[in-house]
Amino acid sequence: MSTAGVTRPTPPSLFGAARRVFELSFGEMLWSRRTIFMALVVGGPVLLAVIFRAVESFGMPAMRVNGAPVAGASIFGVMIWMLYLRFIVPVLGVFYGTALMADEVEDKTLTYLFTRPISRGAVLLGKYLAYLACTSLVVLPSVMLTYFLVVPFGQVAGTFMSLLMDLAILGLGLAVYGAVFAFVGARFRRPLVSGLIFAFGWEQLALALPGYLRQFTVAHYLQALVPHALPNDGTLSMIQGLFRQTPGATVALSWLAVFLVGFLWLAMRTVSRREYVLEQ
Amino acid sequence: MTSKTRYFVLTAFGILALGLTTGLVASLAGGLPVAFTRAAGPDDLSYVPSQAVAVAYANVQEVMASQLRQRLKKLEPDTSDRDDFETKTGVNIERDIDSVVAAMLPGAEGADHDSRPLVVARGRFDQVRIEGMAREHGGTVEDYQGVRVIAHSSDGHTMALGFIESGAVAVGSAAAVRGAIDAKRSGRSVLSNTELMRLVGDLDNSNAWVVGRFDAMAGKAGLPADLQSKVPALSWFSAAGHLNGGISGTFKAEAKDDEAATNLRDMLRGVMAMARLQAGDKPAMKAMVDSLQLGGEGKTVAVAFSVPAEMFDALEAMKSKSERRPAEIR
Repeated sequence: MSTAGVTRPTPPSLFGAARRVFELSFGEMLWSRRTIFMALVVGGPVLLAVIFRAVESFGMPAMRVNGAPVAGASIFGVMIWMLYLRFIVPVLGVFYGTALMADEVEDKTLTYLFTRPISRGAVLLGKYLAYLACTSLVVLPSVMLTYFLVVPFGQVAGTFMSLLMDLAILGLGLAVYGAVFAFVGARFRRPLVSGLIFAFGWEQLALALPGYLRQFTVAHYLQALVPHALPNDGTLSMIQGLFRQTPGATVALSWLAVFLVGFLWLAMRTVSRREYVLEQ
Repeated sequence: MTSKTRYFVLTAFGILALGLTTGLVASLAGGLPVAFTRAAGPDDLSYVPSQAVAVAYANVQEVMASQLRQRLKKLEPDTSDRDDFETKTGVNIERDIDSVVAAMLPGAEGADHDSRPLVVARGRFDQVRIEGMAREHGGTVEDYQGVRVIAHSSDGHTMALGFIESGAVAVGSAAAVRGAIDAKRSGRSVLSNTELMRLVGDLDNSNAWVVGRFDAMAGKAGLPADLQSKVPALSWFSAAGHLNGGISGTFKAEAKDDEAATNLRDMLRGVMAMARLQAGDKPAMKAMVDSLQLGGEGKTVAVAFSVPAEMFDALEAMKSKSERRPAEIR
């Protein structure tokens, strides 16, 4: 039988394929068991803000430092630093980023994706975009709610630009950490452990040491963009503050872009080349 | 996309859109509508002309009743000047003055070096007695926009006191007092100065505060030019304090841009770390240094501080030691 005249459908482009994987993965990711963890993590600051607002509504300052009431805008700044930037963004990056490919391997569903007529890199890219949309749509509204609960209406005009910067920085943080941990997830055998060691071991240590080691962390560049002052919340913060060298905004943004593109490319390359063996 | 996912996405976008719209409207309007918030600061700010470069406020009754004031009173060496003032005017500062609003107004043609002071005091004043005393000392009394204004000239400067309303006086240069009366009548007071009022609105519940333009105040304070050049370019500052057993408060400065603010924060962080090391073996000093909290965002740099009661215990001990020393020598 002749096959002449039968045209094979052209495979979709990288971005077209990534869009299909994104559509498939977004809903799955949003309603996975991991979402319960994300809801708890992101709901914490909102709950704290509700308590703060309730206490303030009774005419009592919710937070005092040495007897002096602390302004809502300052408390919001501390929450951005300590809850979102130092904890929520890296932890979501680790848990979701490392699981992009690992979940498919664990569920033994990777074969179904890889046998489709799309490039392996597009699978990772689509899943990465689903992660970014999923986490951004949970974290950013949480920041918005926290802001309006903590900052008094009268101070909104003066602090709104800072809020826009916070939202942009957190979005960028999720994107960069996601790319880094997508590579870790694609490359290493125990990605979750490696990711946690990187985010809460290496990054914290490198920021506290004098010298150039901090330049090999995401936090160094991300924290340089934060419009709020570094809080003095402990010895580690004090040491980090003492040795802090803040790069300029252009330098920080450039390096974050390099990390984002570089690690995403490395992750796609690793997925394309790696031989995945599914345990029976 | 399932309907559950679609609802989730719509809700998340809805929250973001609502927040961004509210913030944008607030930014463009210079604040949320007045219905949501009352004018910041004391009512007497309506007497301060809009071009004021600095404004200060003190709740005199709260300050005088504070434990700290009671302790400092014991350290006061001589009260004869105050007693003399009370005898002549009938005004006891501790008892008769409730609150004070002070302002620095630019001089003629906006010159900061020739700035005019203005004080608006609220309390209980014996108008007849004060007028009588002024006339005795060559003062003149005139009527300006229906307000009794006492003026006294010496060395080419004319100082004035106006009884602006029952229980309130304005004191300062004649031009400043007339400016206060005009500001109240025309409504062109500092309350319409959005930049300065933004800083006043940011102040917490303090019983004494000051906000102003840094360059104008640095010139007045006579800071050395060398020091002024080393401080990163600052545009506005505010300081607010609460007096009770000790003093707690916040100093805020607004730099010209984010980079200048970051530099200043880095500089202060270093100074604070150094102070912490120095204060290691002095408990009173250590408590004060530990209370320092660096904050602020964007162009703002803030330092919160607390001078604990122990610091004043140390001061009292030093004073009693210095009083005992001559006797020991004898």
